[in-house]
Amino acid sequence: MSAILAAAPAVPLNSTAGHYVAAAYIVVLAVILIYVAIMATRAQRLERELEQLRRDVEAAREKEAPGNGADPVLTTAERKSA
Amino acid sequence: MPGSTTYGKGLRTLSLATVTTMAAALALVFFYAPVDASTGFVQKIFYVHVPLAIISLCGFVFGGVMAVGYLRTGDRRWDMRSYVAIHMALIFGIAGLISGSIWAKASWGHWWVWNEPTLVSFLIVLLLFCTYQPLRFSIEDPERQSRYASVFAIVGGAFVPLNYLAVSAATAYVHPRVLTLSGAHLPPSMGLTFVVALIAFALLYATLWKYEMTAKNTRAQVRRLRRTLLGDDIARPAGRSAAPS
Repeated sequence: MSAILAAAPAVPLNSTAGHYVAAAYIVVLAVILIYVAIMATRAQRLERELEQLRRDVEAAREKEAPGNGADPVLTTAERKSA
Repeated sequence: MPGSTTYGKGLRTLSLATVTTMAAALALVFFYAPVDASTGFVQKIFYVHVPLAIISLCGFVFGGVMAVGYLRTGDRRWDMRSYVAIHMALIFGIAGLISGSIWAKASWGHWWVWNEPTLVSFLIVLLLFCTYQPLRFSIEDPERQSRYASVFAIVGGAFVPLNYLAVSAATAYVHPRVLTLSGAHLPPSMGLTFVVALIAFALLYATLWKYEMTAKNTRAQVRRLRRTLLGDDIARPAGRSAAPS
């Protein structure tokens, strides 16, 4: 944001008005960034949940059919590719 | 939740459109729009503060409209849409309030002016919708939570235009009235910049709304999948939540 303001013509960054304008734009940018950061944290949590679900499903499969010959650790897609 | 909806479709295009419009808006603000003759360079805050406030108020109305969808159909996807719309509008409203406060300090020498109807009415709307989340959190039963929250969202959403009309009729003390019911009182170059900034923030709102809907929808699908594959008990949420499940 500062770089944009510095590149713009006749931006009085050294004046009080310039400081207030920069502050307002930075606040808006910060609010958006904080929101995106929170969403990123949630996405990470979701990824962990999915990973846990995958593990749980595999464990359940392993428990249900221990001697069916298929490798219970591999998912269907992994078995296909193997 | 009957059926399945995907919210991620078109998110990439929307994100690109948002970034492009936002960059165009910033370029117009700092390279094209003239410096205001009476208030000077500080007026540049106008191009973020006013769109944020407008989009925030529109977001509250949008949340109310989505809530009507829930009450009509009983489909909890509408409740989720309403919840996310209000949640996003609150974020925009807070950003608008802070940027407005900075502008007030720069122009009038005060962070806040209590006898100004425009400022106080916006604060009232914002505080009203700040109670939306605690209201949801206070109701444990998901069905009742959605119903009560929808009624709140509709009443709150209807209050927004009424509030705007009341403020328009009131006497302005210090807050400028550039946008009135009779139209915008801006020079063409400033008007164009303002419209582009407004579109940019509207697109940003739409993108973030879609982004959050995608995230919440994916999370709900993971939970449903877990319930289907591993049983109901494991998939139950850990505690009470304000968000629709």
